[in-house]
Amino acid sequence: MAVAGSSQSNNAQFLKRLRSSLPWYPFIVINALVFVIFNLVPWFSMFRYSVLKTDLLSTREFVGLDHFLRMLTDAKLHKAMLNTAWFTLMYIPLLVGISLGVAVLVNRPLRGMKAFRAIYFLPNITSVAVLALIFRRFLSPRPDGPLNFLIGLVGIPPQKWLIDLYQAMPSIVGISLWEAFGYFMVIWLAGLQAIPNELYDAAKVDGANGWRLHRYVTIPLLRPTAAFIIVIATIGALQVFGSIFILTGGGPVNATTTVVYQIYNEAFNFGRFGYASALSILFFAIILIIALIQSRYLRFGDDVY
Amino acid sequence: MSVSESSSPSVEKPNLIRETIIYILMAVVAITTVGPFLIMLSVSLTQNIRFITFPIELIPTPITLENFQTLFARTDALRWLFNSVYVAVISTLGGVITSSMAGYAFARGNFWGKNVIFMLFLGILIMPDTALIVPQFVVLSRLGLVNTYSALIGPWFASIFGTFLLRQAYLSIPRDYDDAATIDGANLWQNWWHVLMPQVVPTMATLAVLRFMGNWNSFFYPMIVTSKSDMRTLTVGLGTVARSGGDAGLDMAGAVLGFLPTLLVFVLMQRYIIRGISLSGVKG
Repeated sequence: MAVAGSSQSNNAQFLKRLRSSLPWYPFIVINALVFVIFNLVPWFSMFRYSVLKTDLLSTREFVGLDHFLRMLTDAKLHKAMLNTAWFTLMYIPLLVGISLGVAVLVNRPLRGMKAFRAIYFLPNITSVAVLALIFRRFLSPRPDGPLNFLIGLVGIPPQKWLIDLYQAMPSIVGISLWEAFGYFMVIWLAGLQAIPNELYDAAKVDGANGWRLHRYVTIPLLRPTAAFIIVIATIGALQVFGSIFILTGGGPVNATTTVVYQIYNEAFNFGRFGYASALSILFFAIILIIALIQSRYLRFGDDVY
Repeated sequence: MSVSESSSPSVEKPNLIRETIIYILMAVVAITTVGPFLIMLSVSLTQNIRFITFPIELIPTPITLENFQTLFARTDALRWLFNSVYVAVISTLGGVITSSMAGYAFARGNFWGKNVIFMLFLGILIMPDTALIVPQFVVLSRLGLVNTYSALIGPWFASIFGTFLLRQAYLSIPRDYDDAATIDGANLWQNWWHVLMPQVVPTMATLAVLRFMGNWNSFFYPMIVTSKSDMRTLTVGLGTVARSGGDAGLDMAGAVLGFLPTLLVFVLMQRYIIRGISLSGVKG
């Protein structure tokens, strides 16, 4: 009797819950569909294709874990990983330093500051295709090319920039810095302006001033912002593609072939969609691991007080 | 009291030398950022210019639109421009409306699977999109969607980030509004459209600007899903112009064409962009 009663009430509850749930689903159905088609299905297809050898046209055979074994001996992939690491290691410290420096510079109530901030943000709203069009011309190896002329003014001989084995990647780093510093400046500014003035006043009362003010108030309180910036910028740096695709095509002699560019190469130039899928899994794992390590060691959150 | 009085004048006294140095530094950075754009504009209006060489005359004589005429005549630039406008507008409208709907459901709804779906969405948000490009292409090519507007617009028609953003906005509205609307006989849709949505319009505007800029400037994905010239967006088309090795005037005309729309949106909508970065940025 008691059992029947509870199952009946369970049933009634079930119906009630269903009736209250149903009207909400139309609100999320488009989101869910887009998510299924463009994320969930590709996500599964990535694993499925990683064990197939296919060019999407004629060939299609099961190769097991061959692709993952091949990664161990794929010299081009190793070079691409080194290149990606090299790019990231050059880019992140410079980006953090420059964007913080500029943020500190414009974070004061002087006249015209808003205009300067807007101007610094300009490269960031620009498409990578436009940037590439401009900088391909600026980095011309001609002695009267814009950048060569400018360094000539301080007595440096003309350089080959993008077509030089050792200067191509630093050139890409420079363009990426130019594009991104305004964006990270805005994030630094938000962090700087979130520091309560009372803390500076208190520190002044305690006798701190000048550099010590920054050492004991600004820097500790900017730590969460710094952690956020480093993680976001690293994830972005690992995925650099557009400027390399347009400016160097991975060259010269693979000097700017990054992991993403190599994945693109395998899929769209060599038609190895299976191997490219396997590489995508590897790439995803790398980003995830790096982001997790960074988040752990950089300590997000409010425990800085 | 005496401390603040004695210390504040010394801090706030305008230090001329210091201010001058700051202004000079800022001007140097400003020239570095604006200079290339000015030269881009100047070269695009210059006649018969094969290379950009320094020193350069910023105001060309004569000023000509020849490079733009050549660009439109020799490439599909007009078509690319149309594609970009079409794709960006539909993507932005679609993405903002679906985000507003889903954000409302996640803020107010109490339905089965809400938490599971929410966690799934969170999972996607942290996924790097370039890692998924090849599988996305594989799926789209099997569906026969390569070289279609559906492929270009599809992933932009919903925004996980936007859903979170709007959910936060709806959560900040007191439930009293919903209760009053319900008593007056409004259903969920009326409550969403007439009562709550008007209150989150600034957030939707912020999202719209971010989505428009993001879509307009996107390169990798639209390049992958289009192979025919007449389906390319402007950025992808300009990429082919850059690689084709034409003269500098043509290149810079293309660059101006790609740059002006985003500049316009930026000038008109600057505060929404900054607001958007602060919203997505500082929280961490």
